Amino acid sequence: MLANYIKIAWKVLLRHPFYTFITLFGISLTLTVLMVLTSFLDHLFGSHYPETSRYRSLYIQQMIQRDSARTSRNGGPMSFKFLTQYAKSLKTPERVSISTFYSTSNAYVGSRRIKLNTKFTDADFWQVTDFEFLEGKPYNEQTIAGGDHVAVITDDFKRQYFDNLEESAVGKDIEIENLHYKVIGVVKGSPVTRIFTYADVYFPYTAPKSNYQRTGFRGDYVAILLAKNKQDVPVIRTEFQDRINRIPMPAVSDGFKFDILEVPSEPYVENFIGMILDGGAGLRMLFFSLIAFILFMLLGLPAINLVNVNVSRIWERASEIGIRKAFGAPVRTLVWQFIVENVFITFIGGAIALILSFIIIKLINASGWIAYADLTINLSVFLVSVLVCLVFGLLSGVLPALRMSKLSIAEALKS
Amino acid sequence: MISHLFKLIWNKKKAHALLIIEIWASFMVLFGLLSLIVFNIRNYSQPLGFTYENVWAIGLQSNQDTVGIPQKAQRIFQRLKAYPEVASVSRASNNFPFSSSNMNTRVDHEKRHTMVEYYIVDAHFSNTLEMPLVAGRWYRGADSVGKFKPIVINQKASEELFENENPLGKIISKDKQVIGVVGNFKGKGEFMSNQPALFEQLDENNDWNKTMLVRVKPGTDAMFEAKVVKDLSAMQAGWSVEVDHLTDSRKTQHNLTLVPVIIALIVSGFLLVNVALGLFGILNLSIARRRGEIGLRRALGATGRGISTQFIGEIWVLATFALLIGLLFAVQFPLLDVFDLQRGIYVTAMLIAVGIIYGIVTLCALFPSRQAAMIQPAVALHEE
Repeated sequence: MLANYIKIAWKVLLRHPFYTFITLFGISLTLTVLMVLTSFLDHLFGSHYPETSRYRSLYIQQMIQRDSARTSRNGGPMSFKFLTQYAKSLKTPERVSISTFYSTSNAYVGSRRIKLNTKFTDADFWQVTDFEFLEGKPYNEQTIAGGDHVAVITDDFKRQYFDNLEESAVGKDIEIENLHYKVIGVVKGSPVTRIFTYADVYFPYTAPKSNYQRTGFRGDYVAILLAKNKQDVPVIRTEFQDRINRIPMPAVSDGFKFDILEVPSEPYVENFIGMILDGGAGLRMLFFSLIAFILFMLLGLPAINLVNVNVSRIWERASEIGIRKAFGAPVRTLVWQFIVENVFITFIGGAIALILSFIIIKLINASGWIAYADLTINLSVFLVSVLVCLVFGLLSGVLPALRMSKLSIAEALKS
Repeated sequence: MISHLFKLIWNKKKAHALLIIEIWASFMVLFGLLSLIVFNIRNYSQPLGFTYENVWAIGLQSNQDTVGIPQKAQRIFQRLKAYPEVASVSRASNNFPFSSSNMNTRVDHEKRHTMVEYYIVDAHFSNTLEMPLVAGRWYRGADSVGKFKPIVINQKASEELFENENPLGKIISKDKQVIGVVGNFKGKGEFMSNQPALFEQLDENNDWNKTMLVRVKPGTDAMFEAKVVKDLSAMQAGWSVEVDHLTDSRKTQHNLTLVPVIIALIVSGFLLVNVALGLFGILNLSIARRRGEIGLRRALGATGRGISTQFIGEIWVLATFALLIGLLFAVQFPLLDVFDLQRGIYVTAMLIAVGIIYGIVTLCALFPSRQAAMIQPAVALHEE
């Protein structure tokens, strides 16, 4: 039965190439946009290199200080001392890493200027993340305690800074802002969209200009808490929250008196959305209305268009429907048939979309629009796409099917 | 004729409802997209108010050093000025042009008040960025001894606070006196809307606000830049020295605006092509179905031109229905002042969107209607 329906659908497709083109163009275009979008969201939020353990990590990115009247508010990253005291000492996590967000700097080679981003980290950073070392090794507790001027660089920075690419960069000297560092490792770089791990040059936190000595609550540092497994994540959140709750309030730090202190430890997605929504009610409304508008635009318009084309094409099938009805086919069977046909067409469109998105993703990765971009169509992206295909097929198939099955036999046979 | 067409459409309103929804949705998409584009083009067409080529911003951070910061910053300022390659130097707050940081404050004069972009800059700022003054003069070092803090505002701020009065000599927020007015100042680049701005004299004995804006002579290269970074780092060990070219930061600011617009443009473009193809297909099918009617009209003496006018007229009436509903929605944006944009932007966007929609439906109807006009009455009626 099913095979029969599909055969009929295939014949209908071949009968009018132009209408088939319109239908498939609409479907595959919509699905391509959605697939590329899901792939991008997966790139942003999924567990990918070098944050492959993101699914069992918690991120502490900012501290918010408020006074009881809620008139003033102070927020941002924390000091190394604060995080060492309250986060590093937690019992449940497997490891805790403290590092800065990246800051920009320049290096000069002859008459060339290299823009670069630097990051100060502790030794655990290399355990919490999963960087691939192409050469050398990371710095450890001893190197940090010794205050050695060492650095781990990315392969991209190596390419820009050193002329001889064949030779290992380990043991060589780089000069940044008039200070000399010895390269002890070269890693494969991280995309800029992963701000907790992205940089071009990584320094131990005891290197100059890291400001780890700050004594107040606020500073330049953030932390990643790595749980042993996914089940431990809520436990760690409560444990950390308990510690924060035990800090006596009101407190004064960096000349700011506050009664309320919030230090959220959140999974990556929550942390990221929090960053956007932190901008106040106006930005939140803009964000949500934009998402609603884009979804409406992406799904609604092509679906309406498809429904319209399908409804107009009832008449092509009128005689077929008339005959089937005359021989006693119930409405349900006819509706079912047209839905199956539509879903089948949608899946053809989906297959085209898959190929198109594959090409587009390859182009995005190769364009250097995001350095080290690693957008992929993985299983989750693919499943989401199949699901969307189904919804789309049903959405654009139900109404035409109902209209078709409502045709009276006499009218259908007349044409 | 028109009322007849309306009647034709109205009689088949159920069949046409989906078509109307489709045109309505396309109009809303177009309206949104065009508002965005018109807003940005309008901003872009207004002058920036300063020049940025060959200007570098040197950001300084004292890190763990806490002693005698103002004196050290002053020494760096003098050192920069002494280079033969440097034309002019100015010390400023870190919300320098095209930077990602912002400072806003509310100022008032008598009963009027406004939010201004707040820049703390020294006496050389207008010189370094080549900002022409419209009235009055830029403050000088000696002005700081007076009772009021000398400030310069831009024309937009002057309009907001004083309307048509002469702003020179007026006191703002109790302690600031306007001594000069500049034209536009769009600190975040061409795509920023023209906001009120206020420049206050920088206190050189302050630990903060030590970004150095340096205008170098044309043709200066990275060699010199490397030398500057080396010299300054050597002068103040432990300080971070970071050089930003304003041309680079400007590009970053532009991308922040342009990338979303371009993505929206591509996606909406494809959506509209999709809709146009669909419309074309639907009209083609509906004309094929109405051959009998067309044949009858031709037999009764209607010209080919008359037939094609009828079909184009029908789609126009349909589009008008959809656009009226669309305009009902679109008009809420300026009325409720949703995104705080000027009303003119919405009106322009609406007009262009209406024009484009009519253009698209006409284009889609043109070919099917011409085919309809070529139908021979004998053939069509024979089929019946």
